[in-house]
Amino acid sequence: MAAISVSLRLARRALRQNLLSTLVAVFTVSLSGGLFLGAWKTKQSVKLAFAHSAGGFDAVLGARGSQLQIVLNALFHLENSPGNLDWEQYETIRSHPGVSEAYPFALGDNYLGYRLVGTIPELFLNHQWKSGKNYQVRSPGRIFSDSAKEALVGAEVARALELQLGDRFHPYHGLEYNPDRKHNDIYLVVGILEPTGTPTDQVIWIPLRGVQTMEGHDPEEANSISGVLLNLKGSSGLALDVKYNKQGDRATLAWPVPAILSSFFNRFAWLERSVAALALLMALVGGLIILATLRTTMHERRREFAVLRCMGASRTVVTGSILWQSILLSAFGALGSWIIYFLLSMAVSSLIHLQIGVGMNLPILDGMALLTGVGILLLGLVSAWFPARKLYCSSLQESLNPHG
Amino acid sequence: MYFLSVENLHLSFRLPNGKSQPVVEVPAFSMEHNQQIAIKGPSGSGKTTFLHMLAGVLTPDSGQILIDGQSLGAMNESDRDQLRSGMIGYIFQSFNLLNGFSCMENLLLAMNLNGSSNFDRARCLLDKVGLGDRKDHLPGQLSIGQQQRVAIARALINRPKLVLADEPTGNLDPTNTDCSLELLRSLCKEWESALILVSHDPRVIGKFEHQIDWEELNQVKESEEVEIEKQ
Repeated sequence: MAAISVSLRLARRALRQNLLSTLVAVFTVSLSGGLFLGAWKTKQSVKLAFAHSAGGFDAVLGARGSQLQIVLNALFHLENSPGNLDWEQYETIRSHPGVSEAYPFALGDNYLGYRLVGTIPELFLNHQWKSGKNYQVRSPGRIFSDSAKEALVGAEVARALELQLGDRFHPYHGLEYNPDRKHNDIYLVVGILEPTGTPTDQVIWIPLRGVQTMEGHDPEEANSISGVLLNLKGSSGLALDVKYNKQGDRATLAWPVPAILSSFFNRFAWLERSVAALALLMALVGGLIILATLRTTMHERRREFAVLRCMGASRTVVTGSILWQSILLSAFGALGSWIIYFLLSMAVSSLIHLQIGVGMNLPILDGMALLTGVGILLLGLVSAWFPARKLYCSSLQESLNPHG
Repeated sequence: MYFLSVENLHLSFRLPNGKSQPVVEVPAFSMEHNQQIAIKGPSGSGKTTFLHMLAGVLTPDSGQILIDGQSLGAMNESDRDQLRSGMIGYIFQSFNLLNGFSCMENLLLAMNLNGSSNFDRARCLLDKVGLGDRKDHLPGQLSIGQQQRVAIARALINRPKLVLADEPTGNLDPTNTDCSLELLRSLCKEWESALILVSHDPRVIGKFEHQIDWEELNQVKESEEVEIEKQ
């Protein structure tokens, strides 16, 4: 125990004596581990967050086109709508025995860059966006009336634009904000939604009729909608898939939503492989940095080791100090990795939430994070092995320069 | 019975040209308990190598070293480490204090290597060498003379039976030389430690009652090179 204690003290003092190289090594290892962990976990978290942010819908009916485009447009308010559907198509699918919920929606306008989505009030009354969770409107607000120019504002939009109950605004035409395309219609904010951590927070909801009859819109399109958000009963998705996607040619049923999202992420498999390669490269750099740091300090401490041996320190004590030095460097590196990972995840999480409203879980020290820490420690030990072995086998006489 | 005795000690170094260079050839050497001996000789003549062999740092090619009845040749490396940490104190010409450690920590570390830890004893010894008020100073914050006093305290902290001092005053001015030498000799006397001091400085050697001329003790002739026999 005394030998371990002395080795540890020597290692700690060596790190403190070479503070700059210690800090550089710890920072580099932290950055390597943190980026590796951050990239890996962010990928997992984004997948999970997207899967959980589908708003509680099984499928979306949209104009003929890409299923992914329909899902991204309808549920995540990204991309453009592939086209419009007739009102009759909504009524047809709503009355289908395999459909438990059907909410039409229409897009086409924005307010200062935030999308206006027209829908029916029942979406906020009946639909559960997450199992057991209905949309909640902040008191004393309320849901918009189907026939009035009223708006229910998503939590993130209200925060970003500082919209409050009673505020009035002019919508702008198109999905992108263009100050020259202001509509004359004026909408009154009658409610603000409680945050859900889903893309709903990023949207201003207005009555479906509002979008359809907005001043400046084509009157012939007054009965069309952008799509229908659906919940299905049992295995009816299969039958509807055949009906719309295989046999029909007027609309596309985006179903099942999780599989479509999964195919979306599969497009980025090359990115995952790149991240993995980068992580390996980073691990290599981290190991080399530890090795270089140990070699530098060993060179400086060679005489110190010889003196310690003269004072009675065993080979194990001096070799142990090198191993401890590496363990401490790695341990601080692992700790730094977790901190960088935490900060990185927070930044990515905020960015994704701000951009598309998808909320990610806060990073935690789970199995992968602990495994990365253990990996860094092992890397440190492997890096220390060679200089430690060299030291163990080195001649004390050479270090002391005996020819006196 | 002598405290330290050496018989037929021989050590050669192998040269890059394949030949063997004898460095130490001491037929006999001995000293009593608590005795203080000064060995004089020119630099580079093998005195330090002799001390290293007495400390068990170097293993001779042949011969025997007995310290307090224990044969160094019969010990394994671990035993020799223990012997050095407990029974032998070593003082270097360049002091070789551990730079990252304070004066007190240098002493405590030497104690730890011997498996003990006594803060009070270390503080008392630092008081004795006149550095009680600098116990928390790093070596770099001390004068050369003060550093050597810490080195003396470190060598003596475990109350060794043998102190080996290798040109301990080689880097000191005359005033510090006298001061350090007096301190070393008095502490060794007080704590009943035998002392072997090697130096090339006649002033230092002159202060010792027992003086040995290294060139007489060591039988190696200058520039003596021997072909190594191929086996």
